[in-house]
Amino acid sequence: MEGTLIWLLLIPLAGAVVGACLQGERAPRWWALLVSLATAAVTVVAACEFDFSASGQVQLLVSPEAFRLPEAGISFTLGIDSISFWLIALTVFLMPLAIAASWESIASRRKEYYAWMLLLEFAMLGVFAARDLLLFYVFFELTLVPMFFIIGIWGGAERQYAALKFFLFTFAASVFTLAGVIYIGTTAGQGAVPSFRIEDIINSAQSGMSTQARYWVFLAMLAGFAVKVPLFPVHTWLPLAHTEAPTAGSVILAGVLLKLGTYGLLRFAIPVGAGPEVLGALTPLLGVLCLIGIIYGALVAWVQQDIKKLVAYSSVSHLGFCVLGMLALNQTGIQGSIMYMINHGLSTGAMFLVIGMIYDRYHTRDINQLSGLAKQMPRLAFFFILFTFSSIGLPGLNGFVSEFLTILGAFTSPHLGIGYGVVAALGIILGAVYMLHMAARVIFGPLKVPQGHHGHDDGHSLPGDIGAREIAVLTPLAAAVVILGVVPNVILKTLEEPVAALIPSESQIVMVEGPAVVSGVGLGE
Amino acid sequence: MNFLIALAPEVVLTGVACLLFVMAALPGAGIRRAAPWVTLLALLAAGLMVGCRMTGWAEPEGVRETVLLSGFAGYIKVISLVVGVLLLLVNWPTNRDGSGNPTLSLSSEGPEYFGLMLLSITGLLLVASANDMILLFLAIELASIPTYVMVSISRPISVAQEAAVKYFFLGAFSAALTLFGLSFLFGTTGSVTLTGVANVIGGWESMPGWLILGGMMLLAGLAFKLAAFPLHFYAPDVYTGAATPLTAFLSYVPKAAGMVALIRVLYALAGGMPGELPQVFVTTLWLVAVLTMTVGNVLGLMQQNVKRLMACSSIAHSGYMLTGVVVLFGAASIVDRAGGLAGVLFYLTAYGLTNVGIFAVLMMLPAKPDPFVYDGKVPPATTAETFSDLAGTGRTHVGLGLVMAACCFSLIGIPLTVGFLGKFYLLRPALAGEFYWLALITVVNAAISAGYYLRILATMFLKEPRAAAGGVEAAAEPVTANLRTRPLLISAIIAAGLGVLLGTYLDAASALRTLTLNSLDVAPRAVDSSSEGELVASLSE
Repeated sequence: MEGTLIWLLLIPLAGAVVGACLQGERAPRWWALLVSLATAAVTVVAACEFDFSASGQVQLLVSPEAFRLPEAGISFTLGIDSISFWLIALTVFLMPLAIAASWESIASRRKEYYAWMLLLEFAMLGVFAARDLLLFYVFFELTLVPMFFIIGIWGGAERQYAALKFFLFTFAASVFTLAGVIYIGTTAGQGAVPSFRIEDIINSAQSGMSTQARYWVFLAMLAGFAVKVPLFPVHTWLPLAHTEAPTAGSVILAGVLLKLGTYGLLRFAIPVGAGPEVLGALTPLLGVLCLIGIIYGALVAWVQQDIKKLVAYSSVSHLGFCVLGMLALNQTGIQGSIMYMINHGLSTGAMFLVIGMIYDRYHTRDINQLSGLAKQMPRLAFFFILFTFSSIGLPGLNGFVSEFLTILGAFTSPHLGIGYGVVAALGIILGAVYMLHMAARVIFGPLKVPQGHHGHDDGHSLPGDIGAREIAVLTPLAAAVVILGVVPNVILKTLEEPVAALIPSESQIVMVEGPAVVSGVGLGE
Repeated sequence: MNFLIALAPEVVLTGVACLLFVMAALPGAGIRRAAPWVTLLALLAAGLMVGCRMTGWAEPEGVRETVLLSGFAGYIKVISLVVGVLLLLVNWPTNRDGSGNPTLSLSSEGPEYFGLMLLSITGLLLVASANDMILLFLAIELASIPTYVMVSISRPISVAQEAAVKYFFLGAFSAALTLFGLSFLFGTTGSVTLTGVANVIGGWESMPGWLILGGMMLLAGLAFKLAAFPLHFYAPDVYTGAATPLTAFLSYVPKAAGMVALIRVLYALAGGMPGELPQVFVTTLWLVAVLTMTVGNVLGLMQQNVKRLMACSSIAHSGYMLTGVVVLFGAASIVDRAGGLAGVLFYLTAYGLTNVGIFAVLMMLPAKPDPFVYDGKVPPATTAETFSDLAGTGRTHVGLGLVMAACCFSLIGIPLTVGFLGKFYLLRPALAGEFYWLALITVVNAAISAGYYLRILATMFLKEPRAAAGGVEAAAEPVTANLRTRPLLISAIIAAGLGVLLGTYLDAASALRTLTLNSLDVAPRAVDSSSEGELVASLSE
């Protein structure tokens, strides 16, 4: 197909516009589902066209004329390597599920809701497909707008505050990224014309720029991406936004939007900062922040009363692993980190879906009011436990592979070392503690009727188990969780090449083994 | 004769303004209803003339001493006329007797109001090309003095009169400062034209102290027009007091006049070579830019009244534009300097377009008068001003909500709007020219401004509509009518449409950018065509 990636972006965008004009109550959701499935179909076409034997190459390049600004160096260039491809696949996989999960729970202003969802899909796909740093930034910022409205209109009780906090936090941080992006684009260009092409940017960073400039650009990028991820001290927007967002919003937020941050770090910040002077100097500090995020997120999750908030805090903890693996700067760690992005998207997205289904029935997420759901809803309980195990990282399910690889990466990395690995492993244990703690209380034990939910007026019993639609939503996720747990190589193999291209050359690593490591916590290899 | 040809657009506008004053003396609603059409025709005719001029009329001989017909002036004239048409549409009198519209209460002074509007726009056009310093001063005042009168006749209530008086006295004060500054320029250089001043200063090794003093006075006087720190404090009061359509006018025409005059005067002070402006001016401009945007945005966060908020936003946007001026005069490389100027020119257009949209939306929404401003009475010519007026209106008026969203996102600088490109073009030369702190403070300010623009959007889209929230009681309170007039709708659609089109269809943005790059010849020195000219050629290849 000519310009597959253009279609990939065009379909959700056109779908959003058309969907906003549809009449009727039912039409918008069917339309949205159709559009999201069509987008998924285009991704399948892209997968067929993509040559996985050369997965490190940027493929399917397109660059339409009308959307370039040559004088400003802005080129509308799309292209994917396998890292981009798998994240796009994650997006188009989760989107129809999120839309199907909103089927009944979004009852008001459906037309707008589905239009925003499709626009969000457009922006997220754009982020992963962009081969131009400024274009990436454009899409990166654009995701804020639909999410602002999705949280603010269809969210929980504190939705307005949550939406504003989400937007302002991430926007305030990413303006620094914008400054960094424009600066590096200017240095990468020739003469008066800047260039934002990823290749030029990375070339310029690794050959032309002074250490000091790279240091600042790295920090500028880190500012925007770290808030998006979120790393430890700047994570405070996340629990609120996740808790207040509607179910589908939380799924997309946790499943894909957080990955924009890790993707940005991996694609831009790390290549720009590669080398002993910048990343070498900052890795110990960043690694410690990741570790604090892992442990702190886990401990805070443990004491949550609201199960959705618990999962939200677990994201803080999980994303700590993800970034830690990336900072290891070795093949294992980065591959694990990318796997982590995908797996976290699947299992946390799934957790939010299940919790949304519980909430639809009981109108509470209070851990003290829910108990013994296994008796009432065995099918839901099955999925709940499955996704809990996946989230914990039980061997045989997807979470295990990525957790194992990131920690292995941290252990063997010359930048991090055993100390980091040990603390991170402690985080896994804590993860099991809080997740099982929650699962045990909510799913098992005596059946409890939530307060204020004394049946309906006719006194008939509690709400029933999940129905066919909900099973249809959860089954693909369950399948993905198991498949990626059993044969992770489907993805891992294709990641080898692009990751190898990302890792800084041998000489730089050797130099780091000097004083930079001694000052860190790790003991080196 | 040559003089008249050179200033043909201004002559037409002034002539029509006089015609409108005569019309005002005649009785009859028909005359009053014809006034805006006459105004529109005058603006279009002037636009046509400027357009012809830009596509290559030869410059008449012998007028260079008084007026300069540079590409820079042409650009300013074009965008002034385009935005002028939008502003006219916003001010369009739709009452049957031509006495204004529900948001603008002109009684029988309609034709005069539009005559004054034309005069003010003429002033802006003249500022762009006046070379004689006396003409420049008169042009600046021509852009301002009509606005004082317009504020007082726009609404028959004491708030507007108070605003007019405040505006007038402070304006007179700033005019005195400007004039005093210009007299120093004349006194030290002995020349009365900007080119003459530039030539004299260009021949000097260093600048005498008197000239620096004069330059500082000029800066202060023009800062008032720009609503720049420290002469920004009148803006919220005046903007709130004036009728809303006039507020839209105030936040553009005098500001643009001030910005253009500032750039041209500084060029003269730099001896025609922007890189040679004394450091003390660059430092001052830097401080003014940073303080203007920061003060504007921080004040914006605290406002409860949207018109006051937009006044603060207008202050902040002056600050953003001043960063371009700093780069123009402070950067080491000629490319970055040109980039700074081009950035200012682009931003003037971006701001002018999207700013109108917000006021148009405010005018179209139903409103309950702000008790703090109007003592609980329902005065004529009131529009939506408070946040409670806006509550839920994004749901009840979807189209208006979308226009507001597009304009607010553009003013924040979110991608896919022209505002993002505007910020981009300002930041790029700033970063390339090593003004790192300036760029950093600018982006931080963009983040701060998101706080209050988003509050507008959050109120419109996320809050319950007032009638629904307050029940019967709230619905029974006095509310102004929901104003849907064709001119207003057209202006809102143009504003938001162009704002989004320029941000997405980059070919269009590229055309505008090329236009700005072709308009960098602020003050061609009489002596040589110099490197600045070559630069223009190199950038716009």
